[in-house]
Amino acid sequence: MPAKRKASSMYHLDVRGGTKIGRDSAVSTPGPATPRSIGSSSDEYSDAEPSESEKENIKKNINSFSVENYKAKQRSHAVAGMDSASHHFGANDFSYLSLKPDHDNRPLWIDPHKGRIILESFSPLATHAQDFLTTIAEPLSRPIFLHEYALTPHSLYAAVSVGLDPKDIINVLDRLSKIPVPDNIREFITSCTHSYGKVKLVLKDTKHYVESSDPEMLQRLLKDEVIGPLRVQGTEEITSAAAPKMTGLVIPGTKNFAGVQQAQLEGAKPKEGEPVQQEDIVATLNEDDDDDEDADAVHHFEIGDTAVETVQKRCLELGLPVLEEYDFRNDSHNANLDIDLKPSAQIRHYQEKSLSKMFGNGRAKSGIIVLPCGAGKTLVGITAACTVKKGVIILCTSSMSVIQWRSEFLKWSNINPSDIAIFTSDNKDKFARNTGIIVTSYSMVAQRGKRSYDSQKMMDFIQSREWGLMILDEVHVVPANMFRKVTSTIKTHSKLGLTATLLREDDKISDLNFLIGPKLYEANWMELAEQGHIARVQCAEVWCPMTTEFYSEYLRHSAKKKQLIWTMNPRKFQACQFLIDYHEKRGDKIIVFADNIYALKAYATKLNKAFIYGETGNAERMRILENFQHNDKINTLFLSKIGDTSLDLPEATCLIQISSHYGSRRQEAQRLGRILRAKRRNDEGFNAFFYSLVSKDTQEMYFSSKRQAFLVDQGYAFKVITHLQGIEDLPGLAFSTPSERRELLQNVLIANDADMDNDDKGDDMFHAMDGKSKFKAKKKANARRTAGALSELAGGQDMAYVEQNKSKNKELKRKKGEHNPFFKKLQRDQEKRRKALDDDE
Amino acid sequence: MPRAIRGVLVECDPSIKSIIVKIDSEEHAFIVEDLDDQTLVIKENMLAVLKMRLDEALKETQQPPSDSGSD
Repeated sequence: MPAKRKASSMYHLDVRGGTKIGRDSAVSTPGPATPRSIGSSSDEYSDAEPSESEKENIKKNINSFSVENYKAKQRSHAVAGMDSASHHFGANDFSYLSLKPDHDNRPLWIDPHKGRIILESFSPLATHAQDFLTTIAEPLSRPIFLHEYALTPHSLYAAVSVGLDPKDIINVLDRLSKIPVPDNIREFITSCTHSYGKVKLVLKDTKHYVESSDPEMLQRLLKDEVIGPLRVQGTEEITSAAAPKMTGLVIPGTKNFAGVQQAQLEGAKPKEGEPVQQEDIVATLNEDDDDDEDADAVHHFEIGDTAVETVQKRCLELGLPVLEEYDFRNDSHNANLDIDLKPSAQIRHYQEKSLSKMFGNGRAKSGIIVLPCGAGKTLVGITAACTVKKGVIILCTSSMSVIQWRSEFLKWSNINPSDIAIFTSDNKDKFARNTGIIVTSYSMVAQRGKRSYDSQKMMDFIQSREWGLMILDEVHVVPANMFRKVTSTIKTHSKLGLTATLLREDDKISDLNFLIGPKLYEANWMELAEQGHIARVQCAEVWCPMTTEFYSEYLRHSAKKKQLIWTMNPRKFQACQFLIDYHEKRGDKIIVFADNIYALKAYATKLNKAFIYGETGNAERMRILENFQHNDKINTLFLSKIGDTSLDLPEATCLIQISSHYGSRRQEAQRLGRILRAKRRNDEGFNAFFYSLVSKDTQEMYFSSKRQAFLVDQGYAFKVITHLQGIEDLPGLAFSTPSERRELLQNVLIANDADMDNDDKGDDMFHAMDGKSKFKAKKKANARRTAGALSELAGGQDMAYVEQNKSKNKELKRKKGEHNPFFKKLQRDQEKRRKALDDDE
Repeated sequence: MPRAIRGVLVECDPSIKSIIVKIDSEEHAFIVEDLDDQTLVIKENMLAVLKMRLDEALKETQQPPSDSGSD
């Protein structure tokens, strides 16, 4: 919904903009265009921005040189250009910017305040501009017609490192922009790109060093009040050594970007060691400068393991971003690993693009690659490992995915099975030879307290080595502290983070920048859907009105109960029933998500569908999942939030969400991810469906709009459905009479707190915490003595046991096996005897 | 002898009706007759007061949504 609104309002402005177009660039900044200065904007990013990761940097960097000296200029112009509408735009009044005469043909707007670039993606030049922008800037938001990008030091550095010249960047930007590139942006680009590569952070013999070719630079750093004390004492002030000479191999023209890209395409075959000069990145990237190689000396000082992050942060503040690259081809210290992609493994173009950003200049950069769920993150990780060909350590979220990673490695690469080991609580192997791959989980590595003897030995082994690459799966889920622990204890040359949703509701995401690295690549979801790599999805928000009774109760109750009431809204229930019925008839497989366990059970039993939640036993889960996949009678599955991530059900084509975790954008995106890998996605005209059921006039509406922000930024448009056609005529519609609704309401109201608390337990898929709550219940039941007949106990006194609202789960249980031959024989004998009796008579 | 009260027929969403009922429940000064989920009869002289109270109540319940409405 917001997307639509945004797009249309922008269009409107565009039309009008014939006369006063200069102002539009301000207005067309999506998101809350609050008239505040950047310096004071602490919360203005919080709503509409997909990535807060860079906000610190942007603020600091832009503030430092642009805003102040630029303000004065603005004032003088502003007076002249004042008109009746000016006050609406406040600080975002850009009418003083002059438009180029042929601005119609150019697709870019540049916001001089924030370093944002707005792309008109309907322009004929858009594809060209988009390629350029993804190289130099970070995508923030990509709805259909207007894309927003942010210039950040990291993105500019990435651009420089793949061979772009700062001058070229400005020239191309100028060519594409509707307005002349503002001076401060120019300055920003040059100053950012200039200082890059001057200071480096290297790992030698498991110790971290800050290295530079310029001793003065190091002196400056050492005098800094933050960095100075962090130097490891006892080492001499600054050591110098000869710069590593490059190997004398011939370069077959593979120096440039395309060459490396091709290398990826060909399954990342080993390329000859490229004689890249480490000292001056900017110079190396100009192809011509490549050959004049001066072996100057490098100087370095050592810093402690824990200080790495602080030093990085501080250096960025000083305008000297630290370069962290791993020249794996020239690393003879660590043994090479024999690994290659199998020839059958095909890398898709976007995977290739993301990897080319990582290995852009022949060395491995640390960073995060963001790909949608189901777009092949694992293969990206494997290809990266095949390119680096050194010891690799892989961290996953659960022991289940540890096993998945290993089997994927064996599937896609020719690695020797004995070279890839698993380190989990029940498996503690080492690889057979001197190098290899270890797959483990975050919790294993970051575990506090005492470990078992075996795992302690294993940890010592991991910590004592130098690793070429660390792959961090699902980086967004892990708290920053854990990362800090992991990254400071394990010595790796480069780190690669993989995720689908680089966002958190807290601010922790920006920490990843220093712990792992900048965002290297973010795929365009819409583009992948167009090309059929992920399923096309129709998103809809269904507004369900509250009934009077439910709403009066809603008004009276506490926040917690309110949540249950809006989830159990009978109209929502009916909508859910209708949608399930409709999609089952179409032949879709449906997953229904409910965060609240009480609601989950109530819905599933009422509608007679299978459900899985935290307390469902493992065997039962497997049985239900298998039935869902292969049994054409079981088309609907209810899942609690244990199914949000890492559950792979390619059969599912339709998703209904009835309750959710407040305003979590990540959950929404992850849930959507469950249907992105739909098997049938390449069928003609195939669409997956994503419904979010929302109770009208409740807080849920607010949460819902928040949750959608991320997907809207990816270009998804949520349709709002206020009325489902034909819902009244559905046979067997639940809660259609007021008395049924009242009964439901009573049940909801007496549902005690224990029931509602349920949703926080048993959270981890495949790690059920069964038995805990059952145990409690047992304790309370004491022996009770009553007088009565024995037949009462057997139910013999005209009472029979009938189970109403049977759980579908139970029906799915396998039919009892054949009787034992003995009983069969007994039965046969009995029948014979009966027959004999009958014959006698 | 029959007694008559001048009333106004109010038609509204079920949720708004619940809010009105809630307001009324404090002093029973507004509602003459509760007809069904979407219709009520309100005392005519209390209409202005009710409108005011309703606005206040709406401000309370709708506070968060109106925040997000701008983005």
